Parts: sequence; structure tokens; C-alpha cells
Amino acid sequence: MPVIRMTDVCKRFGDAVAADRLNLEVEDGEYLCILGPTGAGKTTAMRMICGLTLPDSGTISFDGEDVTELETAKRGATMLSQQYSLFPHMSVMDNIMFGPMIKEWDPEDSKKIAANLLHMVHLESRSKERPTHLSGGQQQRVALARAMASGSRILLLDEPLRALDARLRLELRKDLKSMVKSMGLTAVHVTHDQDEALEMADRIAVIRNGRILQVGTPREVFDTPATPFVANFVGRSNVITGKVSSREGDTISVDCGPVTVTAMDPVHGIGDDVVVAVKIGNTRISKKEEGFFSGRIERILYEGVSITVEIAVEGLGLISSKLPNRKFDDYSEGDEVSVRWMPSAASVFDIPECGLEEELRVE
Amino acid sequence: MSLIKTVDEISSNPRNRKAWLALACVIFAVIIVIPAVYVIFSIPSNWSGIQDVLSDSAMMSIIWGAIWNSFSLAFIVTIIDIIVGLPMAWMLVRKSYRFGKYLDTFIDMPLAFPTVALGFSVIVFWGCPEGITVPGTGLVVDPYLMVILLHIIFTYPYMVRCLSGILEQIDTNYETAAMTLGASKWTAVRTITLPLFRAGLVTGFILCFARSLSETGGTYIVLRMMGATTLDVTGFFTGPTLISTIKDIPETDSMPVLILISSLLIVFALLMLFVAKAVMTRLRIPWRKVWPQFGRRVSGRKVAGTKDVLAFLFALIFVLLPSFYIFVCLGTEGTYSDYGGFLGAVGASFLVAGAATVFDVIFGVPVAMYIARNRGTKRAELLDNLVNVPLIIPTTALGVSLGLFWGQLGLSSMGMLLVIFGHISFTYPLLVRNLVGAIEEVDPSYEEIARTLGAKPFQAFRKVLLPMVKSSLLAGAVLAFTRSLGETGATQAIADVSTVPIYIVDLINANDYFGAAVSSVMLIAICFVFMFGLRIVISRMGGKD
Repeated sequence: MPVIRMTDVCKRFGDAVAADRLNLEVEDGEYLCILGPTGAGKTTAMRMICGLTLPDSGTISFDGEDVTELETAKRGATMLSQQYSLFPHMSVMDNIMFGPMIKEWDPEDSKKIAANLLHMVHLESRSKERPTHLSGGQQQRVALARAMASGSRILLLDEPLRALDARLRLELRKDLKSMVKSMGLTAVHVTHDQDEALEMADRIAVIRNGRILQVGTPREVFDTPATPFVANFVGRSNVITGKVSSREGDTISVDCGPVTVTAMDPVHGIGDDVVVAVKIGNTRISKKEEGFFSGRIERILYEGVSITVEIAVEGLGLISSKLPNRKFDDYSEGDEVSVRWMPSAASVFDIPECGLEEELRVE
Repeated sequence: MSLIKTVDEISSNPRNRKAWLALACVIFAVIIVIPAVYVIFSIPSNWSGIQDVLSDSAMMSIIWGAIWNSFSLAFIVTIIDIIVGLPMAWMLVRKSYRFGKYLDTFIDMPLAFPTVALGFSVIVFWGCPEGITVPGTGLVVDPYLMVILLHIIFTYPYMVRCLSGILEQIDTNYETAAMTLGASKWTAVRTITLPLFRAGLVTGFILCFARSLSETGGTYIVLRMMGATTLDVTGFFTGPTLISTIKDIPETDSMPVLILISSLLIVFALLMLFVAKAVMTRLRIPWRKVWPQFGRRVSGRKVAGTKDVLAFLFALIFVLLPSFYIFVCLGTEGTYSDYGGFLGAVGASFLVAGAATVFDVIFGVPVAMYIARNRGTKRAELLDNLVNVPLIIPTTALGVSLGLFWGQLGLSSMGMLLVIFGHISFTYPLLVRNLVGAIEEVDPSYEEIARTLGAKPFQAFRKVLLPMVKSSLLAGAVLAFTRSLGETGATQAIADVSTVPIYIVDLINANDYFGAAVSSVMLIAICFVFMFGLRIVISRMGGKD
């Protein structure tokens, strides 16, 4: 039974569309990431779940009960914001006790709950301090404990890692998820960082222009993207257009101007105009073997664990390939290399109605 | 407790919240804005009387003279404030002289002095009024100059505060960047920092101008003691003191004259607000042209030091000494025994100021919240501009207007209530202005998070927002309270309620200068004790946080 269900939700702010017949289901105990570029409607979707923004039309229900018009305080969906918004005039303990105090629970019980939570986030020793004296990571844990203490079963995280140092951000991904999981909460996490979403989510919902493009496990979204946009936004892809020229079983050949590539696709017929997208990590290059086409290396970027090689291909423009860093010495700028991929690694789409450039635009 | 809980419950319905905001807006319009400008709309019904005044050329020349005096005085005073306030603000914010902290406190003190007391002190210091044994400098005998000297004292702190507030917000990095690019200190400040000042200058200009335009009590005392308040060619008036003087003449129907003067003052004041905003935002500080040689020469230590000394001397001689000179009067011979009358006046003053402040807080908070949280929407901007209206209107004209409005509704017998309404009008903007600034600083996400944690809207306001803006709210309330305590003109124009400033004016009118001095000093003492006490309370509350 889904805990949160958004049905045909629409919301406009003047001319800007924040939600356009948005449909989304979040399962009980699930950790769902809403992933999308800036201005896609991620935060609006979340604010509508907790009632800080009311939809123009459509319904939102928790456990089958319609909460579209229910006031925020009664929904039991707590938000964790970018800056955590710990109340600066209260101590850590008072911050955590805010929910119980507002709801006038038995003070003894609430103190026990708060003490337990403090223990869980490893901050017992700092309960009397002001939140401003804590580090970013600690503040986040207090915010989490405060959300738990309010008795909410739904946690809404609005880019919760954004304000942290790059290093800490990576470390806290695991911690944050395991804490949420161990408390048995249903979590909706909004982010524009695809790595974060891939690593943390049980399922990812990719959103753009107020519409959900695809919902699936990280692997599904990464390996079998539903649209060229998803293919390029979740892990970069090389995207080329062409016409299907022949078919052998599930494998098709696509004519892309001067070159021909192959891809696995059961749907499109001969003569169809298509878009072929291949993750740059699945794009292989070689100096010796034959490929679909060849080009000259323009640039090699050293990125630590991996390297990205950019190849200029006549008629196609720049094609990128992501390789492990040990390959760094094998190539140098100006080398002629061949390019190919496993047909099963390529995704094939219809030409988007709005045009490919518009489709791939991130902002 | 149960009342608060009921409010909590009520607040969870958005319709109730809208209703409350609507009520606050209606009250703002009906009690504050409409009565303030009502006098203009009363012109048609009093037209025949006004026509008589218009055809009385002697009276008209006095009226035009008074209005010209008011506006030219306010303009000169404000320009002086800018010229001398800038180096002082600079010194307070950017320099760390050891006495800077004390200077900081002293600069604000004239704000706590009721203007009648200041007026008395200034005339004794600069002039040598007859009937007073205290030796003044006797330097100034021209009423115009004397009023300028008086008005500088209570507008100067506003200007310094305004400019130093902005200066604190301007990042010194811009200046540093300009200097690393080769500009001398003087050129960097002139071309980079000063243009960034514009907003602060507009606010400071309007505040000082309005305050000077509005002032009645102190000016009246100065002019009265110089013997310049006779209604003929030998008299010298400003708009507000002319209203006071005419009002004091018994048994004539002075209403048409009052309506005419008040309307003229209000219309010109509003025009002025409009023009000041337009001119100041378009005013261009010539930053393209540079004089490197000259700039380098005046960037030296010596010039900077001289500038600081001059700024300090100005504050000392023209602001602080004349303000405190009144204490010297206590050493003269004289008798004063009307302590009962004084205490009665203190009671009335505190009642008016207290009631007005409480009202300001209750009905000002929702309006301030609306303005702060809906920035950029047309309605919020309109409300924001309307809040400024009572601030720029001279309070005496406001009083006349208010008296007419409520009198029309048959409330003229309830003098005390009307005086409170009047004081609400001109203190309300002070509180709301302060609060809007503070609320804008607080990220709305605090309240939103509180609501997702289960807090009802009023709970979120009470437990989260209010504690965060508490000190600004208190500061605004203190400002409103002291402003009300020191007000003369509005009270006089509305009804016959003897607050302390009125009591002092009455003493002066009866030539009891010693009594006036004693009462002034006692009023100052009371103000100080009160403000000091509040400051302790505030710092306690701050300390707990």
C-alpha cells in the first residue's frame, strides 16, 4: 500500500509551471529521490506533500486518506531543509523537544524519546549547546532527530547535503540513509545531484518541467532511461541522431550521416528517425581494433579515479568516453582512435517533438 | 493559557488568518491613514470660511511665510545633517577610537530628550532670554538661526544612525579592491562606497526632513521665549507653531485657518516625499571623474585626523552641550512646587504613550509580517508606502486632521481617546518600519519547518518567529513610546489633555521659566530611568538566549 500518492497534481506560479499533471507514488518505508535540474518543480512537489504549498488541482493522499486540504501541522510530514533551520534561540535539546512540546505530549515520555534520539545521533554531550556552535554535520543530525521526535512517519529532505563540504557530503550519504532506514521512515529526498540520487535512493523519480519522466531503481534509470533527457541527465551520454537502415533480430543499424552505428532495439522499423544514446562510461575507444567510426583525440581530462577522453568525429562533433585512470598513459592528444559500444548498451528513442537540443537542455 | 490555545486553534484555518490580516489593514486605514489626511477632504464643506481666509492678505502672508519657513528650515537642517553626519557615521563604524563606544551612546541621547526640554535648553545656551538668570552665550538672536540650531540636535542622531546602519552593511572589500586597483583612499570612498550609500541617504533625508518639519513643542518654546509669536509682521512662525499659536487664541472660529494650514502642510509634505524619493534615486554622485593628485593629498593621515576632530567638535558644540545645558538652570534661584500637577501630567503622558505602543504592537505586527513576507507584490508595496504617510505628515497638521475626523463622528468629547489615536498615527510607522526590517532578516523556512513539525501557524509565530525578532520589536516599541512621550504638537491640536510637554509649554506661557526647567529635567530623568530599565530587560532577555 503506498504511503504517499500524488494524483494529477497541477500547480502554476504565474506563467511558470511547477507541476503539470504530476503523478507519484511512494511506498511505505521507501527512500525515494526526486531528481531534476533547477526549476524542474522538485521543491514544489515536496512542499505540496507537506502542505506548505497548496496544489491548484489534483489530490494528495497518505495511506489512502485524502490530505490535499489538510493543514500542515496535522499531516505528520516533516521537512528537513537545506540550512536545517535549527531554531537559533533554543538549545539542541529544546530543538528536539519542539515537536513534543507543541503537541503537548507527556513531558517525561518526550524527554525519554529525545534522550534516545540524541544517543542515536551521537550528540548526548552537546544537548545544552546552541545549534550555531555545532558543525554542519552535527546540525544536520540534530535536525534529523528533531524531525523524528515530532512523531512524523514521513520525512521530506530538501537538498539536505547541499550546505556541507564536498568531502563530508559524500560520507554523510550513507549515514543519512541508514539513519532514516533504521527509524523506519518513508523519505522523499529532493536533489539535483545525480550521483547522490544514484547512491542513496531505493527508487529515483526524474522530474522536469513539473512532470515525472521516469520512476525506477537507480539501475533502471541509469541503464534503461525512458527519454533522451534522462539518458543524458543521469550519467552523461553521447547522443546522436540517425535513420534505421537495417535490422538483424533485435539489433538495428542506424545511419548517422557519414557513419553507421548499431544498437539493441526491438521497436523501431526500418526508415524511422531515431536518437541513439550511449553512456560515456559505456563508450569504448581503441587504437587497434575496428569501431563504428573513428576520430581524433581533442582533450584528455584527468578526474582522479577516471579520465574522460573527448574525441572529435567528423559529422558527429565531440564524442566522450570515460575510462579508468590507468588508461591515462595509453592515449595522448592528437591520437586517432576508433569508437564503439556494445549494442545492448545503447538506448534508442524517437526524435523528441521539441527537437533534440531543447530536449537535452538542463536549465 | 486557554486563550492562547484558542488562538492557536483559530490560526490553523487560513480563512481566519486572512480575516485577521484584513482586520489589521482596516484598522490601519481607518484609525491611521484616513484620519491623517481627512483634513484635505474637509476643505469643500468649509469652503466659505476658507475663502474668507484666502482674501485676508495679512493672514495669508503669515501663512505662506510659516510654510516657507518650515520647508526651508527642514531642508537646510537636513543638508547640514548629511554633511556633518557622514564623517561621524564613518568614525563610529570604521574607526576604533577608545571613546567611540561612549560617543555612540551619547549621540542617541537627544532622542530620549523631549523636544520641549531641548528647546528650552537650546534657547538658554545660544541666547540670553529675558527673565532667566542663567548666562547663555547670547550669540544668536535671529529666530530662524535659533530654530536651525534646535532642529539639528534632534535630527542629527537620526542621520548618523541611518548612515552608520548602511555603512555597516557595505562590504569593505569593494573599497579594498578599488585601492588595490590604484585608487587613493579618498577616491575609493568617493567613487565606490558613496554611490552605494544612496538608499541610506534617501531614508536619512526623509526621516530628518519629516522630523524637522513636524516638530512643534521645542520650536514653539524657542520662539515664545524670543517673543516672536505675535500674530503680526514681527512674528516668526513655522507651520506647526502657527497652528499652535492660532489654536491658543480663545473664542474665535479658527477652524478654516487651521484646515487651510494643515492641508497645505500635508500636501506639500507628501509632495516632498515623492520628490525626495525621485530626486535622490536619480541623483548621480559624480564618480566617473577623478582627481588623483587631490585625492592622494586628502587621503593622508593628517586630513583624516582633522576631519575626525571636526566631526567630534561639531557633535560636542552643536548637539551635546546645548542639550545638556538645561541642567545648569537647576542651579539658579527659583521656586517650584506644583509637583502634583507634574505627576498628573506624567500619568497622562504614560497612559497615552503606553496605550499607543500596545496598540502599535498588536495591530502593527500582522501588517509588518505581511509586508516583509510578500515583498515584491503590489499589495505589500502599497501597504509599505502607506505606512510612511503618517511619518512624513507634520504631527500638528495630523492632529488637526484627526480632531476633525473624529469630531465629525461625534467623538470630540473623548479627548483622551482621540489623543491616543493621534499618537498611534505617528508612532505606528516607527514600530512597523523596525519590525519589517527584522522579519525580513529571518528566513521563512524557520516557521515552515516548525509547521511541518506540528506547530499551528500562531504557535510557529509565537515560539519561533517572535523570539527571533524580539529585540527589534522591543526597540521599535521603545522608539514609539519615547516619541509619544515627547510629542507636543499633535496633542495640542487634538484636545485639551495635559501631557508633560503640554504642561511645560503652559509653564513657559505663564513665564514660569524655572518651573519649566525643573519639569524638563524631571521628564528627562524619567525618560532615562525608563529607557535604562528597558535596556536592562532587553539585555537580560538577550542574555538568556
